[in-house]
Formats: sequence, structure tokens, C-alpha cells
Amino acid sequence: MLRWWSGILAAFLVVALLRVFMSLPFATEVVIFSIYVMGCNFLLGRVGFISFGQPAYLAVGAYATAFYLFYAGTNPYLGILAGLLAGVAVALLVGPLFVRLRSDYFALVNLALAVIMYYLMEKVLAKFTHGDNGLWFLTRMTATPVVNLTTPAGFFVFAFVVALVLWAFYKYLDETIYGACCLATKINEDKVRFLGYSNFAIRWLAFVIANTTTALAGSLYAVYFGFVSPEITGPHRAADPVVVTILGGVGTLYGPIIGTIVYTGMKDVLSRIIVNWEFFVGFLLVFIMLAGEQGLWGTLEALLRRVRRSGRRAPVPQETG
Amino acid sequence: METQLVISGIIYGLSMGSIYFLLAIGLSLCFGLMRIISLDQLLYYSLGAYLTYTVQVATGQMWTAILVGACVAGAASLLVERIVFRRVYARDITFTMITSFGVLIGGVGTIKYIWGLIPRPAAIPIQAQVVLWGTPVPTYRLIVVALSVLVYLGIALFLNRTITGKAIRAGIEDVDHVEGLGIDVYRLFTVTFVLAGTLSGLAGGLHAPLIMVDPQMGLSALAFVFMVVIIGGLGSIKGTLVSAFLVGQVMSLGSLVYAPLAQMAPFAIMLGILLVRPTGLYGSPLLKR
Repeated sequence: MLRWWSGILAAFLVVALLRVFMSLPFATEVVIFSIYVMGCNFLLGRVGFISFGQPAYLAVGAYATAFYLFYAGTNPYLGILAGLLAGVAVALLVGPLFVRLRSDYFALVNLALAVIMYYLMEKVLAKFTHGDNGLWFLTRMTATPVVNLTTPAGFFVFAFVVALVLWAFYKYLDETIYGACCLATKINEDKVRFLGYSNFAIRWLAFVIANTTTALAGSLYAVYFGFVSPEITGPHRAADPVVVTILGGVGTLYGPIIGTIVYTGMKDVLSRIIVNWEFFVGFLLVFIMLAGEQGLWGTLEALLRRVRRSGRRAPVPQETG
Repeated sequence: METQLVISGIIYGLSMGSIYFLLAIGLSLCFGLMRIISLDQLLYYSLGAYLTYTVQVATGQMWTAILVGACVAGAASLLVERIVFRRVYARDITFTMITSFGVLIGGVGTIKYIWGLIPRPAAIPIQAQVVLWGTPVPTYRLIVVALSVLVYLGIALFLNRTITGKAIRAGIEDVDHVEGLGIDVYRLFTVTFVLAGTLSGLAGGLHAPLIMVDPQMGLSALAFVFMVVIIGGLGSIKGTLVSAFLVGQVMSLGSLVYAPLAQMAPFAIMLGILLVRPTGLYGSPLLKR
């Protein structure tokens, strides 16, 4: 197994390299999207819950940030904090209801929640959310000390640091008793109960952690674009994080980032050549599932193990179009 | 005036419920027998709608078009079953869900490639209106309701009276025992899957004249179909029928009271039912996670 800090370092290198070779918007998109995928990855890989409703929580974070920046304050840091708190609150609220369900019901209920969020933001709360026009607050944000979030470069640095901290956090989780409990819940809930742990509590906490991460990604999106509309939780984008999770490799630590780079790159490159890149995404998904569901990182890791005899070489994926 | 609104609302709800029933029944059967969540039913639904539109433009025969749509959707589901689902029957549920979602996305991409992105209108086969209790009601909607009730009766007869149907019902109870009797369960799986795909295609064909046919229609219907399936309980045919009509009524009558309620109300009902019964109205607690 790779040492954990070398993993962080490797991920850091990958993104730093990205910044050199790629345009800034692309790199920022990759960083935010990988945060978005991390929550889904944790749910699916560690707790065995698949959720087709992640955009719902993305929207919670994004709209909380948007409301704060549109109606109350001007400081993007506080806006992101508002999004984070909203994410925690919503996850705490719906968590007990959802985590009792069987995994198949869980996925579908989340999907339904995403659709409901969409209609809520588009029609029911139109007075506050301005419906399809969305909320624009790009010019309302003021420059912040330390790292200036209103400039693209400053924002990239900030998002990048947030992503790194999250990576480290998830890595740490994997090594705690709690992380082991999550895996145990996924594999055999009866034995977990036998050991004296509560399946419900484990799942609820996992749900809160994962969806707060997702809400944070939503907040970052909101600050980055300076604009939020119901589009963010539309049913058409509902499975993106799941697709990328599978693509990168379920339950692996570097899966999200690698999957995101490949997916975003594919979207960029393919959508320029042909209109419907979804076809390839769908095909790739089925292919990966049938080929043994290891994903890109799973395959890469096996290769790396073979390559690494003793020296520590940073894994730098070459498949970024 | 008020009664007229309510009556037309009820009829609208019934026709929507019928479409949802035809779509959800395939999902329910697939889950009950093979323990797969077949999200690609939504693809056959879109496919049925598009073929209905194309054939109708070519020949002008709407009913033929709907029939062709259903048959081609069935054929497509057979193809997918042979290539993809053959290999995933033994896997766990979330796995099949992701795989079938891949099929759905790929299929939607293909539809975009063939028919383009612009929504298309399909003609209503019967323009006539029947007057019920002083309210003019489109005949076509009544025919849709009648057809879905016929389909329900047909499926009930098929499952209760034929050997294949009985084997499928036994398979829903316990697949291993059926296999032990020397029945080829994989053939049963194929039959069920194609039946589901055909019914989804039929749902798309019948729905096409009522809405604009567009590439995203399957993804838009996804959430509502799943609300129907969850409220009824996965794997129960009676539950699917009851909850489809319930959801249809709630949507149409709710929208009379307050427009956005149409989309919100089924969700509220679903949450309420799941609080009381985590497996839906008629769902079997058979399968633990």
C-alpha cells in the first residue's frame, strides 16, 4: 500500500501539473467536481449506499451560499460557511428517514429528492430564488483577505486547499475505527450489531459526512460562478457523481480525482468533436462494470504496484486528453 | 364550472396513472423475479415514443405506429438482455442499477444522435371528445386508461393461468426452487425482461401524442416512475397499479389546488408511506439489504 502522505503528495502533483498544462477554468472545474464526487465515493465505496440524488445536496449548499450572498452579506467565506451549515442541517434532518431504507430504495428516494428540490427552487420558492433566472451575485462579493476568492486564481488556490484537506480527512477516516465500522456495515450488518455498534448511527454519520462534502462542493460552485439557478439540481445531471465514482474506482481514495480529470476532459474534448458524448459515457460505464468494476484507479493501482519495486514514484496519470 | 374542472382533472390523472403503471410494471416485474433494478426501462419508453412519432409521420397510421414502437422497444430490450443483463443477474442490486443506468445514458445519446435534440410533436389519433357529466373529455385519454386496465388484466391472467406465468410467480417467491424443478430460469428472465421492455415501449407510444417527444423524456419520467414503484412496493403488481393511479390523481388534483403541488405531492406521500412502511404499500420485506 502506498503511504498516505505520498498519496496526498501525488494528488497534489497531479493537480499542480494540471494547472501547468490546462487552462484555469478547467483546473478549477476538476477540483470542485472532485470534491463533489468524494462524498458520493464515500457513500458508495465505504457504506454501500448508492445515491442518484447527490444534486439535491449540491443545491442545498449552493442555494444557502447564494441566499447569504444575495440577501445578507458580501463575504464569500461566510457564504461558503453558510452552505456548509445548511448541508449539515439537511443531512441531519433527512438522514434518519433515508438511512433506514434498503439500498435500492435509498437510491431512488434520493433521486426523487433531487427532483423535488428542482421544482422547489424553480416554482415554489420562486419569490426568493427568482425561478429559472437564478440568483446573480457575482458583483456583490467583496475581496477577502488572505486568499482573494473573487479572482479566478485566488479561488483556484482556495478550492485546491479545501480539496486537499478533504482528501486528508477521508484518508484519515479510512484508518479510524469508524471507517472500519462503515465497511463492516456494508458487508454484514448483523455482525456489526453483534459487536455492539449501531448500524443506524454509523450510516447516519456517514450520510452527514458525505452530503456535507457535497454541499460544500455546491457552495464552491456558487462562489465560483457567482450565480445559482435550479439547473444545478436538474434530473438530467443526477447521476454524474455516480458515473465518475465508478469511472475512477469505487471506494478508492484517488478514484474521485482521476475519474473527474478523465470525465471532465472527455466532456471537453468529445463535446467539441461530437454533440452526444453521453453515448460514450454510458458505454464506458457498462464496460467498466462488466470488466470487473475496478475503475481507472483500481486498474492503475495494480499497475503501479508492479512498477514500484522500492522507489517512491508519484502516480501521474497520462490519460488527460 | 368547478365540477367540470374536477372531472377533467380526474380523467387527466387517470391517463397519467395509466402511463406510469405501464412503465412501472416492467420495473416491478424485473425486480421481483431477477432482483435487478432496470433503469433502462426508461430508454425503451423513449424509444417507443420516438418510433411512434417516426412511423406516424411516415404512414399516418397512429395505432400501427404505437404497435411498432412497442414491438421495436421489446426487440431492443431483448438485445440489451442478451448482451448486458445476461452477465449481471447474479450481482447485487446496486451493481445492476449502475449498469442499467449506463445503458440508459448510452441509449439517450444514441437517440439524440438519430433524432436530434429538437422536441417533436406526435399527432393524437382520435380528436373526438366524449361528454361525461357535462364535461367534454378527450376520447384518447379514456382509451389509454382502458388499455392499461386491459394490460393489467392480461398480465394477471398470464401470471395466474399459464405455465410460464406460474413459473414466473414461483420465481418471484423463490428462484432456487423453480430451478430445482428443472425449469430454465434464464429463459423466464428473458421472457420477463422482454415483456417489461415491450410494455415500457407501449407506455412511450401512448404518451407520445400527449406530450412533445424529446430526448430527455425518459430522464424526466424517471423520478415519477420511481415514486410509483416505491409507494407500491418493488415486486408487487397490485401495489404498482394502486400507487400509479394514486400518484396520477394526486398530481392532477393537486395541481388544481396549487400548480407546483403536481410535482411535490407524490413525493410527500412517498415520504409519509416510507416512514410507516420502509418497503412501500405492498412491498415484500423478503430481501434484506
